[in-house]
Amino acid sequence: MSQWLNHVLERASTVDDWLSPVRAQALDTLKQQQWPTRRTEAWRYTSLHPVADLELKAASVNATAEAPLIEGLNSLDLVFVDGQLNTDISQLKLPEGVTISELSAPSQTAEALFAQVKPSRHLFGLVNDVLAQQGVVIDIAAGAKVEQPIRIVNFASAGIESHQRTLVRVGENAQATIIEHGSGSGNSLNTAFAEYDIAEKARLEHYRFALHEGEAIHIGGSHFKLHDHAKLNSTLIGYGSQLTRLDVDIEHAGEHAFAKFNNVYLLAPRQHFDLHSTIEHASPNGTTEENARGIIGDRAKAVFNGRIHIHRHAQKTLAELNNRNLLLTRGAQINTKPELEIYADDVQCAHGATVAEIDEDALYYMLTRGIDKQQALVMLNFGFVQEMVSQMPNKALADWLQPILKTRFESMMEQQ
Amino acid sequence: MLSINDLHARVEDTTILKGLDLEIKPGEVHAIMGPNGAGKSTLGYVLSGRDGYEVESGSVEMNGKDLLDMEVEERAQAGIFLAFQYPVEIPGVSNMEFMKESVNAIREARGENALSSAEFLKKAKDACKQVELPLDFLKRGVNEGFSGGEKKRNEIMQLIMLEPKLAILDESDSGLDVDALQVVAKGVNSQRDGERSFIVVTHYQRLLDYIQPDYVHIISNGKIVKSGGPELAKEVEASGYAWLAEAEGVDA
Repeated sequence: MSQWLNHVLERASTVDDWLSPVRAQALDTLKQQQWPTRRTEAWRYTSLHPVADLELKAASVNATAEAPLIEGLNSLDLVFVDGQLNTDISQLKLPEGVTISELSAPSQTAEALFAQVKPSRHLFGLVNDVLAQQGVVIDIAAGAKVEQPIRIVNFASAGIESHQRTLVRVGENAQATIIEHGSGSGNSLNTAFAEYDIAEKARLEHYRFALHEGEAIHIGGSHFKLHDHAKLNSTLIGYGSQLTRLDVDIEHAGEHAFAKFNNVYLLAPRQHFDLHSTIEHASPNGTTEENARGIIGDRAKAVFNGRIHIHRHAQKTLAELNNRNLLLTRGAQINTKPELEIYADDVQCAHGATVAEIDEDALYYMLTRGIDKQQALVMLNFGFVQEMVSQMPNKALADWLQPILKTRFESMMEQQ
Repeated sequence: MLSINDLHARVEDTTILKGLDLEIKPGEVHAIMGPNGAGKSTLGYVLSGRDGYEVESGSVEMNGKDLLDMEVEERAQAGIFLAFQYPVEIPGVSNMEFMKESVNAIREARGENALSSAEFLKKAKDACKQVELPLDFLKRGVNEGFSGGEKKRNEIMQLIMLEPKLAILDESDSGLDVDALQVVAKGVNSQRDGERSFIVVTHYQRLLDYIQPDYVHIISNGKIVKSGGPELAKEVEASGYAWLAEAEGVDA
């Protein structure tokens, strides 16, 4: 058992707000959970040892921070510092068709979404259910075409434990771009879960940047429910930290839904990154394209578990899952596992996972042409990551991210 | 411009070069011939600095500088170019990007300005034309899916672009039909300017009909056993390498 989880249960009993009835259900489920060990399938390659006896403070109310500027993005920023909302929503100039409220304020959208899209099997999702008192609820009205990206910024400061929640409904025929932008490098624990309900013919462009590093512990998830003809284009970027664990669930609840999910992880030496994705094809004629690509530094460890579940009635499903990894040293580790469960007979489903090391012959060839080693390594090994970034529909984000990831990769090479 | 003295080198536990001497002056073309396993390709790898090719003793000086003390890329920047027998495929890196990086790295080492995109493109187009390589090859991944002949022509295209002081051609004729061979030879000959030197490594005399060497050396068992003019190549063509075994009492 975990000392930390005991404290969570104690603290949960003191939370009292309008969501308490829903939280009570989550608390019941949570109480029945065993603390995961290496024998727990979902945590097989990720040790929760750093969390088990963690004792951190709750957030101070006065902490403030500026959202990192992304040139040309012109986003509407909702800034959380250690789980506390730092932005005065009432002062925001909202684009037409957008309603934003705080989680603490009762709303129909929040009531309909809270712990409804996210599956209840995620232990830390349940923790977030019982403890996250701050968060935002974003409602995109039917038919609204919202050009301005909405960014939820999450800072985690050293010494603090925090829990943040995001709930989003994209109405029928509406379009929106949402960015979850998290960071932190000090010894901290932050859980951040987001639930997205994407109505008929609606389109969501989504980004999750889990740029946590160093001693930070970040555990969270983004969960999506797609209705008929809904479209999701999601990109996840992860750095890996003392412990980063993300769960992404995409449910094709309606027919003819489309999901594209790209993700990139670039792990510096000794960092840990774990991504579990689950695609549920519960209805016919759905399409999923998932690409995960990672570069793993010395003694760093990445875990990729990609599950695609095609239900019996989900005929004519097209699903592709591909995972490519580059290990920078013999000490780098990837545990990759594509999991397909197919119960329909008329589907097209493909999956693959590759693990490569640096191609010494190609490197030598480039050196004989006078290209210096660092540059050659970047050219050889960064292309497959670059490709993911260049597929991001938002150009300002891609232009911002490209040099950041390249610099990160270069410094990873220097640390070898 | 290049002096190799009593060079001994090994790969893992096997000594391959066993006392090789060679003196090359600016503008000269030296052909190195010999049976398989004699150490022909090893010479190119040792001169370019490939990992795993360890020099046991001897020296190599290029224009008075200790070549063996330099990194692979420094040797290239100093003017060594190796045309590979088996050019490496690099999917994901375009030929264009690769050459641009390469040309500018070498220009920078020589103290010259980087080429502008337009200047580079013109130079690349000219080089492709010389070796009859269609321009869309610049956009493709380096050697990716190229035929054997296209790979060899791509090597010569690089040679033309990089303007080295010493070009080592490692069996640039292998796997080529006569037409392709002539294209490769024409490309190489266009780069003979009285200053640039060449080491032409080949198993067969055929290539030397098109690239006229100044000297021909026969390498066997890790050293040069006979040197002469172009006529020596003809001799080999007529009699093969079997005489080496008799002359030296070793396996050819």
